Amino acid sequence: MQTSLPSPSGLSSTMFNDPDFFRSFAERRSWEPGWLADFRKESWEKAQEFSHHSKKNEHWRFSPKSRFSLSRIQEIANPKESLRIDGYSSAESIVCENLDGMILDQPNLISSIPNLLGPQLGAEDIFLWGNCFAESGYYLQAPKSAQITNPITCNFLTPPSGSIVFHKNIVELEPFAEVVLIERVRSANTKEAGTIANLTHIHLGEGAKLHRLLIQECSTDSTHFLFENFHLDRGSSLHTTALHLGSKQTRVESKGNLNGEGADFSYNSLFLGNNQQLFDQRTLQHHSAPHCLSNLLCKNALFGDSRSVFSGLIKVDEAAQHTDAYQTNRNLLLSSSAEANSLPGLEILANEVKCSHGATTSRIDEQELYYLQSRGIPRNTAERMISLGFLTEVIQSIPSDSSKELALKTLEENFDAPSS
Amino acid sequence: MISPSAVDIDREKGNFHFDSQYAFDAGVGLTEQVVRYISEVKSEDPWLLQFRLKALETFLKKPMPTHWATRDLLNIDFDVIRYYLAKGQKPSRSWDEVPEDVKLTFERLGIPEQERKFLAGVEAQFDSEAAYSRMKEDLEKQGVLFVGSTEGLKEHPEIFKKWFGKVIPTSDNKFSALNSAVFSGGSFIYVPPGVKLAQPLQAYFRINAENFGQFERTLIIADEGSEVMYMEGCTAPKFETSTLHSAVVELVALKGAKIQYVTVQNWSNNVFNLVTKRAMAEEEAEVRWIDCNIGSRLTMKYPGVILRGRKARGEVVSIALANDGQHQDTGAKMVHAADETSSNVVSKSISIGTGRSSYRGLVQMPGHLKGCKNNTECDALLINNNSQTDTYPAITVKGDDNSVQHEASVSKVSAEQIFYMQQRGLSEGEAMSLCVNGFVNDLIREFPMEYSVELKRLIDLEMEGSVG
Repeated sequence: MQTSLPSPSGLSSTMFNDPDFFRSFAERRSWEPGWLADFRKESWEKAQEFSHHSKKNEHWRFSPKSRFSLSRIQEIANPKESLRIDGYSSAESIVCENLDGMILDQPNLISSIPNLLGPQLGAEDIFLWGNCFAESGYYLQAPKSAQITNPITCNFLTPPSGSIVFHKNIVELEPFAEVVLIERVRSANTKEAGTIANLTHIHLGEGAKLHRLLIQECSTDSTHFLFENFHLDRGSSLHTTALHLGSKQTRVESKGNLNGEGADFSYNSLFLGNNQQLFDQRTLQHHSAPHCLSNLLCKNALFGDSRSVFSGLIKVDEAAQHTDAYQTNRNLLLSSSAEANSLPGLEILANEVKCSHGATTSRIDEQELYYLQSRGIPRNTAERMISLGFLTEVIQSIPSDSSKELALKTLEENFDAPSS
Repeated sequence: MISPSAVDIDREKGNFHFDSQYAFDAGVGLTEQVVRYISEVKSEDPWLLQFRLKALETFLKKPMPTHWATRDLLNIDFDVIRYYLAKGQKPSRSWDEVPEDVKLTFERLGIPEQERKFLAGVEAQFDSEAAYSRMKEDLEKQGVLFVGSTEGLKEHPEIFKKWFGKVIPTSDNKFSALNSAVFSGGSFIYVPPGVKLAQPLQAYFRINAENFGQFERTLIIADEGSEVMYMEGCTAPKFETSTLHSAVVELVALKGAKIQYVTVQNWSNNVFNLVTKRAMAEEEAEVRWIDCNIGSRLTMKYPGVILRGRKARGEVVSIALANDGQHQDTGAKMVHAADETSSNVVSKSISIGTGRSSYRGLVQMPGHLKGCKNNTECDALLINNNSQTDTYPAITVKGDDNSVQHEASVSKVSAEQIFYMQQRGLSEGEAMSLCVNGFVNDLIREFPMEYSVELKRLIDLEMEGSVG
């Protein structure tokens, strides 16, 4: 009956809590429209309140919360250097801009910002700090029936050690628009040990389609936060594939809201863990409309002392009859000190549903290793080959060929890189 | 379809109670005086009083676990519950010594017939003290002890004190602390090395006073190479206000021993059933929890096995049926603490009407271990469109030589199946009942024969009126 939970950590002692810090930030941005200034202030007050809440919460179960503390952060990095958008020309019908410039030039386009909620899967305080202090991010808007097959790439860079950068990203696809999007999160050099926090809001209108690939290769000492909230209208379809290859610690919170009949939500992720890396992923597939499909796959290959937490929930409302919802977590342990935690959950209130989840954790089959070794392949190489094959399943389902190629190439490169 | 047989128990038979003159009554509410009073009435040793007082302190300090559990727990009013009352009688040895009104209660529950059949020993509990306790002579000859908690700790401290409160420490959770403070009744069993009991030991539990919680304490020690099966079943009279039942069950399976613990829980729908059950399995020992929850308003029960010795095995087989207004929050815990240990959890739940069933699981495998395996399967069946089911497993695995698999599914009875059977002349209700019985059939077979017959009948009763 008892549950072991991480003890509350001293999150409250960040520089963000300091009213003077916020005041000087607000003064620096006094040119902004009033509604945005009000929103920042409101977020700051809410975050302040939230920091005092107890962290004894199922959303932090198994997570070494202290590793996600912002207490060592001393400054907010220059937002001008942290985002570059490629593969988009302003001649096209769509809009894809950096929020940084839009606040001044087209504030009306982003006036929905105060209404955008986060996934609310545990790290609400960090999300709120993001609402308060984000100065950059991408805004992607596609008009009705726009077909954009050339991928748009958003390149993020982690800031220098001791600093943080927040991005507020917004994707708005109008009915029947189709877009291919790639997000890359990297570091300028291997010494950077800053923190990057991306708050991404994706809304797909009726019948819209988004193929999204996310590749995270931050330097080995950086911290990565990713908060995603997806809203899927009737008949829309979202396919996200995420490759988490870098950073010292990553916290991902993803929420898929299936609001319209027949929506299709597919979310695949992989984590390749080495050394002390930590990957903490919380997901929610929320079905509130009938006849929707959601499928979530999370595969982790854990070398060294790396550690993963997967906590997923499928929630089916009473109205969401004829739901098909699946959730799979597979962990491969490749060292005696690697650790995998799985918390796959279901909350089902409708009876006309097909829902299942599966979680497995194990080592590589000794016979498979023996087979490769008997053909002259060293054990170490054989292990990496099998692990690569294991993770490649996540990539196979990427619908866009160019994205699939990029994902596969990046994954292979990371396997080639020497690891201790 | 299933014709009633002699061993069937009609649930309505449990729906009565007699006025009892309680010789000892601790009054309502929980205070230090109540705890001291209970200890005094039982003329306990000072160490036990200290144990109880410390537990009370822990209970008061611990918060309600509502950060993960249902908020329905907040509806328990600890101040209106009676924590102790008993006839003030020692457990009787012969049937003749049992008071007449108590006997009548048992008569209606069918205990004497049960005994005539194949019970090795009966420990029937009337309220908090065992009113009737008897063991067949051959059991005594084999050195098997089957006594109440008070008698166990007083007469055989050399056996029971060593393990009492060791598998489930007082501070394990709020309700184990509550039980440790006010426990009375329950069974203490010791099976000597090498003794294999061919027949199960059985105890009946009843709640027979309004606002009265039962706090049994059970401790079973199976010494090296011994085997024992224990059965626990309950029916309770229906009352207006909520009743609390909070037991602590500790099992100790020493090297090579086997324990099977069978529960059929059918409390009335106003009972909060908050039970802590855990077993310790030493080298090559095997512990099986076979659990069926049909009654109560809220059941929270997660039988666990701590696999302490090499090649120890743990298993939980669980059936839960949640009808209107019920929440069956059940599950299993498997803590692997030695090499080559294995565990298996099979859980099936059925939610009818507004009923809600939840599965909560915990599997732990630390990195220094080799060759540990766990398999977990949870299947849920939803009957009506306002039924609810949840699954919340938590799995932690470290190291490169262990494996875990967990699978869960949720489904409903398909319209084709119902249609097929209706074509062959069954009513919709009968067809549904047959489907549900089929869904849990493989698990019901794990129960002893007379229970499995009773269970099928109980499921039929629960299914009545759920469709159409």
